[in-house]
Amino acid sequence: MTLRSVVSWFMPVVPESRVAVLRTVIYLFVIIDIHLFVRDPIPLSRHPELYQPLMLERLLSLPPPSVPLTITLYLVLVVGCLVAAANVLPRLAGGVVAAAFTWWTAIGMSYGKVDHDHLPLVVALWVLPTVGVIADRWRSTERSAQAGWALKCIQISVVFTYFLSALTKIRSGGWSVTSWPESSILLWAIVRRPHGLGQFLMPYPELLHVMQWCSFTAELTAVVVLWLRGRALLAAAVFWMGFHVFTLAILYIHFAPTAICWLAFAPLERLGPWMRRVKARRRQRTGRRSTGHPVPVLRDHAVDGRG
Amino acid sequence: MRGISMPSLAWRLGATVLGIGLLLNGSLRMSDDVWPIGPMSQYAFSPSGDATIVITRVEGQLADGRRIDLPLRVETAGISRAEIEARIPEITADPSLLRSVADGWTSRHTAEPALQRVWLVQDQTRLVDGSVGTTRLVELTSWQLPS
Repeated sequence: MTLRSVVSWFMPVVPESRVAVLRTVIYLFVIIDIHLFVRDPIPLSRHPELYQPLMLERLLSLPPPSVPLTITLYLVLVVGCLVAAANVLPRLAGGVVAAAFTWWTAIGMSYGKVDHDHLPLVVALWVLPTVGVIADRWRSTERSAQAGWALKCIQISVVFTYFLSALTKIRSGGWSVTSWPESSILLWAIVRRPHGLGQFLMPYPELLHVMQWCSFTAELTAVVVLWLRGRALLAAAVFWMGFHVFTLAILYIHFAPTAICWLAFAPLERLGPWMRRVKARRRQRTGRRSTGHPVPVLRDHAVDGRG
Repeated sequence: MRGISMPSLAWRLGATVLGIGLLLNGSLRMSDDVWPIGPMSQYAFSPSGDATIVITRVEGQLADGRRIDLPLRVETAGISRAEIEARIPEITADPSLLRSVADGWTSRHTAEPALQRVWLVQDQTRLVDGSVGTTRLVELTSWQLPS
């Protein structure tokens, strides 16, 4: 393995339009996220007595959250995301959104509960602005290693979310590979979140163990996805989307911020030309109809009644 | 194809190696405190087949005498169950911290009679040989709202 091959793996040359499309999707998703997922910083900021800052907030000496502060962050995020989603001022707007969303999410996780589904989204927000201005945005025909590096970082953070989760399970089980898959964790989770399908699985602890082994094995081997191509990559993406649908069905736990970042693996540059083809076809169809044979319409009187 | 300068290439490669190193360190050695580079700790522990599963709740007594559940969700109480569970030691030491739930619930249920007292309770379910056993209600602390 040469240095050149390492560099080209971390920074493959890819179409910049792929980043332009992903920016639009990711920044619009952030607006959804602050309303549906990390939606509690404003109400939580009314309870300073429960606030315990994370290391990041202590290191940066960030002020404790207050209602004016969290509302300001909210407004900055909404405006910043709309600008950045349009691929306008990508470094400035993207940088502001990255900092504001990291702070917003850190506040949401400074009251005791820390989620780990936001790692790829936070990474995406920090790396997407580094690609800079993409001329022609979705229509760009430019290719670059800068775009490839940003996408590779998001891809790594997606698969690491699964892989590191398996590592943490091994660590918490006293460095044992079997302790987590053989534990009663799924039963524990279903009792605490008695939603949907999960309740039907409660009488079958052995089946729950099989499911734990499957998810643990998938997480531990998730890094392989980084080397997959074509149909194999598509199959892996479909498998992980199915995994998230499954956890949603049995535990009502979604991993939407991770799932959306799977788009970093997709050939999004095809979206722009595809949409243009669809529009052109529609225009062509409409045009043909208007220049085609006139079809008489019964009782089609002129609106002024003189017809 | 857009070119890339040597410094530009170098900082990107350096940032990637540093990022991967920090993430591995976070998962193998650190705690949730170092988010976003901490361990992926959600559902990552290994409860035994005879573990006790607790569901923490807050109940409230209204001025009309009813004792009701105050659901710990952002939309109903302004704070979620996980946040209250993370602060159980602090709340049992100082029950007035339940004010966060009482205030959050009251501001979202203005048509209801006033809250007079709140209780921090737990439904504790025992597992027996990996199957669900009996559940009992345990009262951790309570707080009388100032009138």
